[in-house]
Amino acid sequence: MLMVVKNQLKISWLSIKYALIREMLNKTTFLTNIIFMVLNNASFIVQWIILYSLKDNVGGYTFKQVLLLWGIASGTYGVAHFFFKKAFSLSDTINTGKLDSYLVQPKNVLISAITTDIDTSALGDMIYAYITLFIYGVTLPNFLLFTFFCIIGGIFLTSISIILSSLSFWFSKSDIIADTGNGLMTNFATYPDGIFKGIVKILLFTLIPVGIVNYIPVRVMVSFNLGSFLIVIMATIFIVILAFLVFYKGLKKYSSSNLMMAKI
Amino acid sequence: MAIIEVKKLSKNFKVKVKEKGLKNSLKAIIKPKYKIVRAVKNISFEVEKGEMIAFIGPNGAGKSTTIKMLTGILYPNNGSIKVLGIDPQKERKKLAYEIGTVFGQKEQLWTHLTPYDNFKFFGAIYDIPESRVEKKIEELKMLFELDDFINTPVRNLSLGQRIRCEIVASLIHEPKILFLDEPTIGLDPVVKENIRTLIKRMNKEYKTTVFLTSHDVSDIEKLCKRVIIINNGQVVLDDTMENLKYHYLNKKIVDAKMKERVNLDDEDGITILKDKGYNLKIEVDIQKRSVADALKLLNPDNIIDINISNVPLEDIISDIYKKEGKE
Repeated sequence: MLMVVKNQLKISWLSIKYALIREMLNKTTFLTNIIFMVLNNASFIVQWIILYSLKDNVGGYTFKQVLLLWGIASGTYGVAHFFFKKAFSLSDTINTGKLDSYLVQPKNVLISAITTDIDTSALGDMIYAYITLFIYGVTLPNFLLFTFFCIIGGIFLTSISIILSSLSFWFSKSDIIADTGNGLMTNFATYPDGIFKGIVKILLFTLIPVGIVNYIPVRVMVSFNLGSFLIVIMATIFIVILAFLVFYKGLKKYSSSNLMMAKI
Repeated sequence: MAIIEVKKLSKNFKVKVKEKGLKNSLKAIIKPKYKIVRAVKNISFEVEKGEMIAFIGPNGAGKSTTIKMLTGILYPNNGSIKVLGIDPQKERKKLAYEIGTVFGQKEQLWTHLTPYDNFKFFGAIYDIPESRVEKKIEELKMLFELDDFINTPVRNLSLGQRIRCEIVASLIHEPKILFLDEPTIGLDPVVKENIRTLIKRMNKEYKTTVFLTSHDVSDIEKLCKRVIIINNGQVVLDDTMENLKYHYLNKKIVDAKMKERVNLDDEDGITILKDKGYNLKIEVDIQKRSVADALKLLNPDNIIDINISNVPLEDIISDIYKKEGKE
């Protein structure tokens, strides 16, 4: 079992490495993609600077805590889109029959299919995440917790995309549902949860679980709480298992396709 | 012993029926209509070890669907499949170590990497130790004559060179069965011939069983000893190439250049294919009339040059498609 996991990780690492080599062939595009993503994320902070010059507290968050929220949001997004880019276009992979080449290989279809490409701009998100952590104030425990939450949150976002994209096994055009779901997870991620009340707040911890990926990690980093920390881990394990179950259930309905295509 | 056993295999696809017009499109949102397309209907066959078998049929006949069920890509609705004693749907990964696949329409290689790096990647996919992969690459490089371009990025290779590399990539793990789905699609005749020679050499060298689908009759004629013809999801013929030719080659084409003009009309056993006065092309049904008989009608003294040939295999196969399609 351990050997199987080790071999699978080796293949995923090789795929990511080869994709990175391809992206680095064009040095200028590679670097500008990363730099512009950092600048793009930084530009949003300007509005918060203006807001906090008028008010000390927004939704129970100080300015530094909002920065940390942005850091977690960028970090989770970065991890998800750098390592698992294809999970966010899994509907297309299913609809166009591109799963065929992974199905004839003796490896896990889902993991192979989602780790076959990278998004270089997501490296910019990850760099930006650590910049915000340094501004917030870095200590060793903070650094480790932050990294842990970025990885686990990235896996959580990827799992949500897998679940929504797997609907393509049953319904055509379900990529719209997946895109909307992924968009919602990002849109709510950078606002302090204190500004949301009632049903919206319930939704943010259930159907659109931004709370698990972003809000609870910020709380844990501001003031460590073992219960909240374990909730994030348990919820992630649950969503990962669900993602695998839904994908493999759907795979039995996979109908392939004979479109002409190339792996680029 | 059969290494591929297919029994009463069926596969259906549920397809949405789309009627024209905006009104019907709106209706379809509320109450969508579906139809069941029976892509493969109750087919059975066996393949022996070391065989090179052609699995052919017109577009939409069910060839690719069958090959995808045999390789574990698709789940059948009914029937059973055993490939090397393995159920492809239950033990997909176990089977993947034993088979190789080349889909002519789908590339598996990374285009920005060289064939060499690609082969090493495939070696890792099949958990083969580095030293063994190196040895295998060296061996296949010689067999498939890749020396000139093994270190050139795949995107800079010609289509023929790419297909050769695709085949080599699928052979890195020494599969017992190689599934080739239209491997010569889009290639020029010279490259096609080259690929065929290499496949033949591979079959001879490694005793790999080859399961080939192709639209190119020459692929089948030159590579395979047995042919399975599938049409409308059903096996319409499963026979040796020799028998196919023997039973279906009951017509001869006589192409004659004449001294004087001959007036000949279609009659029992003779069909005029081309009549340009001094040049005549006729088809003789040898079950009804002998070739000698037909020549008598032309008057042998009047013939300057003559060529008697079999009906091309391509025509025989399309005749089988048409005949079975009507039935």
